[in-house]
Amino acid sequence: MKTVCLVLGIIIFLWAPGVKAQGFKFPEVTGWKQSGEIQTFSPKTLFEYINGAADLYLMYDFQELKVAEYLNEKKASVIVDVYRHKTPTHAFGIYSQERLSDANFINIGAQGYVEKNVLNFVSGPYYVKLNSYNTGAGDEEILLNFSKKVSENLGEKGRLPSILSSFPEEGKKKNSEKFIAKNFLGYSFLHSAFTADYELSGTKFKLFVIESDRKECKDMIQKYLQQTKSLEKNIAEGRYTISDPYHGEIELHWKGKYIWGILSLNDPSSRSKYLKLFEEGLRKRK
Amino acid sequence: MGGEREERMDKKLIGRRDFMKSTLAGFGGLFFLPQIDIKQELRVVEAKGKEKKFVYRTLGKTGLKIPVINMGVMLTDNPNLIRTALDSGVLLLDTAHAYMAGRNEEVIGEVIKGRPRDSYYIASKVSLPQDRTTGLYTEGATTEEFLKKLDLSLKRLGLDYVDILYQHGVTRKESVAFEAVLKAFDKAKKDGKIRFTGISTHTNEPEVIHAATDSKAYDVILTAYNFKQKYYAEVRKAIARASQAGIGIVGMKAIRGGNQQPPTVKNITASLKWILQDPNVHTVVPGFTTFDQMEIDLSIMDDLTLTEPEKIELQKEASIRGLYCQGCRQCLGQCPEHLPIPDLMRAYMYTYGYRNLALAQDLIMSLNLPNRVCEDCGQCPVKCSIGFNVSGKIRDVVRIREVPQEFIG
Repeated sequence: MKTVCLVLGIIIFLWAPGVKAQGFKFPEVTGWKQSGEIQTFSPKTLFEYINGAADLYLMYDFQELKVAEYLNEKKASVIVDVYRHKTPTHAFGIYSQERLSDANFINIGAQGYVEKNVLNFVSGPYYVKLNSYNTGAGDEEILLNFSKKVSENLGEKGRLPSILSSFPEEGKKKNSEKFIAKNFLGYSFLHSAFTADYELSGTKFKLFVIESDRKECKDMIQKYLQQTKSLEKNIAEGRYTISDPYHGEIELHWKGKYIWGILSLNDPSSRSKYLKLFEEGLRKRK
Repeated sequence: MGGEREERMDKKLIGRRDFMKSTLAGFGGLFFLPQIDIKQELRVVEAKGKEKKFVYRTLGKTGLKIPVINMGVMLTDNPNLIRTALDSGVLLLDTAHAYMAGRNEEVIGEVIKGRPRDSYYIASKVSLPQDRTTGLYTEGATTEEFLKKLDLSLKRLGLDYVDILYQHGVTRKESVAFEAVLKAFDKAKKDGKIRFTGISTHTNEPEVIHAATDSKAYDVILTAYNFKQKYYAEVRKAIARASQAGIGIVGMKAIRGGNQQPPTVKNITASLKWILQDPNVHTVVPGFTTFDQMEIDLSIMDDLTLTEPEKIELQKEASIRGLYCQGCRQCLGQCPEHLPIPDLMRAYMYTYGYRNLALAQDLIMSLNLPNRVCEDCGQCPVKCSIGFNVSGKIRDVVRIREVPQEFIG
């Protein structure tokens, strides 16, 4: 029995997601040397590296950060930050909070983008940020080269959360999708949600979806109705129009493990159309 | 009957006072400050059809009159939450160039668009490349870079100027009067891009605050300050000195931040009242992310006085065993060698809490300890009130005597 437990223990240890992170090694890059020690930051020390911005990373279940600096003979430098979060969704969440929707997107990890002196990408539970200094005209090429090497050492690149494919395409602002980890719409009872920005004939609005279990979804609807003083005796699956004192009228639909809805769109027929399109998207979810 | 009850209550109160004195005197500082006449102003603000009482204090020599609770925006991109905060009487929004890679400033820009410029204040922060191990600035930390970041922040906010611009996240006194930053501040002020200069710190705060006061370069200091800081008395002293020099003091990490402690505290309102009992703190910028949290944070302005139950709750929470001595001094007289245990524990905190080896070594050297410390007693009779292995910590920290000064710097 003891042997079985020991073997099982070893197997579980080797397969545990954290082991991969502990095993992550910064790559060798031709023409560049690592300068100084690799720095490691935990949830308790992250603020030493990124100050007050750390609190937002903690909201996205940040686990560990490893930082390496590379130098070349021309005194250019590249700093590589590898943030590990609890899940790929949380890594996407913090990436999405910092992503610029009009950035120069590239094929790296699950998604990434490059700008002058900056390359950020998300890969599985990792959010990787590269910053370059004094790299001159070859800056983008250098960052791309580094990102490929780092990405290879991170293992499976994964993909963006599959629920994003459920958002209706019409009017959607490309790369505006976000994952809000906590307190969606400023309410703790709504937990987390995925959102995307839309624009149609000059009208800007937002679509969102909350994924949970059925019981929890019912509870959320109930609390939301209580919060907004909209009395409803029997909470059932279906459509709700909520007059939110802070956000205005919100149209939402609950079915099974999903609550999806629309913010800032006044036209009733457009609301209906989008709720229906969203439902179809969720049904076909990849 | 009534008299008997009063007598019992008196006894209870005396007991509590004794408890407070004996357990949380800190390092020469009182956990609770006596009620004093704080220069503050009460205003009634109408928010969403309801009248609310707001307590205002003046932010040092800036002369800005602001409520004691404002908003740290770093954790939210919810424009309606920020909008509601402003509509509810909040005046100062605190952000930074780096928060959400700039989106935080953009969301604020969206919210303040169209509002009269004198109806709110904006504080932002800019940082330059630092060696995170030493806390010193590195190559690339230039005036030009600082100003470039400021210009980008102004663009994101859609403003011509910010009210306060902080040098972001300073951890060492050597970085406080960094020439490149001071030059940038001068130029930005001359160009009308900032009204007041500031510095922010949440590591090694006392050293940074003292250096900022000495430099005479700053109008405002933003500092971590809360009842769970093991060295709150030293932060308090540094703040008092800065405030007396006319510097405005903004508190942060009062409740939900505090990365060196659990991320939340049990009693939010009591924690906020604790920091605001210090008359030298002019405002606090909690980072609320829900409407409920905002309401709770703003509600304390109805009455800033800490109630007896709140005091007891804070005491209990502050006494939870941590890494450092609580300064209760109950160990005094227990050591057969008459070692100054509270001082030795303070040196331990300097070493592992502040990571200030020089300060720890200075203190240890000043104590005139015998050559052999905590090596000859068979069993240590000292019983620490929060269960520390006192002799173990002492043996550990006195080793700093052997380290040559040139290694400590």
